[in-house]
Amino acid sequence: MLVSNGLIGLREGLEAALVVSILVAFLVKTDRRDRLPFVWLGVGIAVVLSVGFGALVTFTTATMTFEQQEAFGGGMSLVAVAFVTGMIFWMRSTARTIAAELRGKMDQALKVGPAAVVVLSFLAVGREGLETAVFFYSSVQSAGVGTTQPLIGFVVGIAAAVALAYGLYRGAIRFDLGKFFTWTGALLVFVAAGVLAYGLHDLQEAAILPGLNTLAFDLSDTLPEGEWLGALLKGIFNYSQRTSVLQAVAWVAYVAIVLPLFLIKPRSRAAGDN
Amino acid sequence: MSTATRSLGLGSLLLLLAACGGGGGTPSADGPIAVEATDDACKVAKNTAGTGNVTFEVTNKGTKVTEFYLYAEGDRILGEVENIGPGLTRRLIVEVTEAGKLQTACKPGMKGDGIRADFTVTGDAKKATDSDAKLAEATKSYQRYVNSQADSLLTKTTEFVDAVKAGKVEDAKALFPVSRTYWERIEPVAESFGDLDPRIDGREDVIEEGLEFTGYHRLEKDLWETGLQPDSAAIADRLLTDVKEIVEKAKAVELTPLQLANGAKELLDEVATGKITGEEDRYSHTDLWDFRANVDGSQAAIAALRPVIAEKDAALAATVDEKFKALDALLETHRKGDGFKLYTELSEAEVKALAEAVDALGEPISKVAEVVAR
Repeated sequence: MLVSNGLIGLREGLEAALVVSILVAFLVKTDRRDRLPFVWLGVGIAVVLSVGFGALVTFTTATMTFEQQEAFGGGMSLVAVAFVTGMIFWMRSTARTIAAELRGKMDQALKVGPAAVVVLSFLAVGREGLETAVFFYSSVQSAGVGTTQPLIGFVVGIAAAVALAYGLYRGAIRFDLGKFFTWTGALLVFVAAGVLAYGLHDLQEAAILPGLNTLAFDLSDTLPEGEWLGALLKGIFNYSQRTSVLQAVAWVAYVAIVLPLFLIKPRSRAAGDN
Repeated sequence: MSTATRSLGLGSLLLLLAACGGGGGTPSADGPIAVEATDDACKVAKNTAGTGNVTFEVTNKGTKVTEFYLYAEGDRILGEVENIGPGLTRRLIVEVTEAGKLQTACKPGMKGDGIRADFTVTGDAKKATDSDAKLAEATKSYQRYVNSQADSLLTKTTEFVDAVKAGKVEDAKALFPVSRTYWERIEPVAESFGDLDPRIDGREDVIEEGLEFTGYHRLEKDLWETGLQPDSAAIADRLLTDVKEIVEKAKAVELTPLQLANGAKELLDEVATGKITGEEDRYSHTDLWDFRANVDGSQAAIAALRPVIAEKDAALAATVDEKFKALDALLETHRKGDGFKLYTELSEAEVKALAEAVDALGEPISKVAEVVAR
């Protein structure tokens, strides 16, 4: 009871914390600490909204229809992919500036508005925030009627996710700049591909997109989401044990297009260039 | 956009979703249906419910994380709740709009097809009937439109044919675009009758397809280009026969709402491919009459569907109205007396502006079918 609820907490927590930790590492690494409050603002808004909205659907008769819920989650995920993709290339352009040792131009490369930082953090956390909040409330309710184990498990899981994300952050900022960009960027490519597949799967469940039961593979028995490895993979890469063909194709296509674009070494530009 | 407004936007989106979900449907008479899920069983307290909001309280008494689904026929998901950890209770509220045989399923370990059980919903259909009634009304009202246009088509075509046969070239020329107006308004209906359409409305290009060049455009060529031919009268007679047949068929045809929506789009495509280019009435250059008529027909189909569109997608209804208005206004600037300017009197810029207005309208119209099918 403790473990399986803990794994849900870990998974949901990782989905939210991973992108945020990379974003924070990136800002710290590039001396843009002044942007950090905007990260926490975005995260804060997402948490407040999720908690408020979760309370609404838990304690009142307000409901979203199933289609609305899935369309909303799926839509948010797709928007999140767009923003994370933007972040990937924004990191790449920064790497280019650094590669060209034009540290003075760093400011130009980082012309990223606070709004973008807020929205990105908001989406990273808000995407799964509602589901997590509702889950949290039901574990609180269970605690009220005698069993505190799910709540403890869930909190431990979230804490573990935050600890892992923090570990990733600490590890990441130890790298030298060039390596940092390559590794975190590449990691983000896979994360974004997972979020894309996940969003499409939501839309398939709502029957907005077809092909929910046309499976590419079904690893329910070999690598279940309910055990720690599956939960970790789901938390980090949005792995699904039953992956539909549409999901698989979208995932492969995204990685096949974005990863090479990201990894191709940009030509160093001479200082005189614009 | 400033940060604050953007986050406000997202916030209000959430609240909006909350609002539209709030109190949707009528709650079932009795409280929630308790579901006790374990690792190898799925005990649903009741296997029947009335239409409206059906609420399940799913308690996981097993050791594995579980999910609970409500399926309609063909495993269409009506509702699901995931991540029910051991010891947790989670609620699922599903709005079931019509009676039917459903299935409940628990999925211990979140895998496989789950432990299924039948679940029957009885009672009157909710929401759906309103839509169905509106759709039925839509087809009826469009049918009335088609009938009235078909009558006028027959009247005006008879006058046109008589003028041709009497050799009154000027009268015939004046009647040509007028009689075609009624034809163009209901063209999608007419097109569903196979070879009648090319016989009545085929252009000279049909010869390449091994067909005879007859109908309106053949007479148009005679009137404007070559002068009346020895067989003009025979062609006119045949046109009247064909029009009579199509009028009869058009009155009997029963269109589905989806066909209406697609017809509205087809009419605009007609405009974009034939009228904008000036190739439809290449001898008389009365393309704008046809253009106006196609837009009228499209508007009539949309007007019939409007209550349905407004209910299902108010924003789309507003967009469509607005784009129709814009196109109407633009077309009206080219009026001349009872009719329109000739195509040859339009400047290139004017044609381009018309094309853009048609495209701007075609885009929202193409979404109507999907909204109607919802």
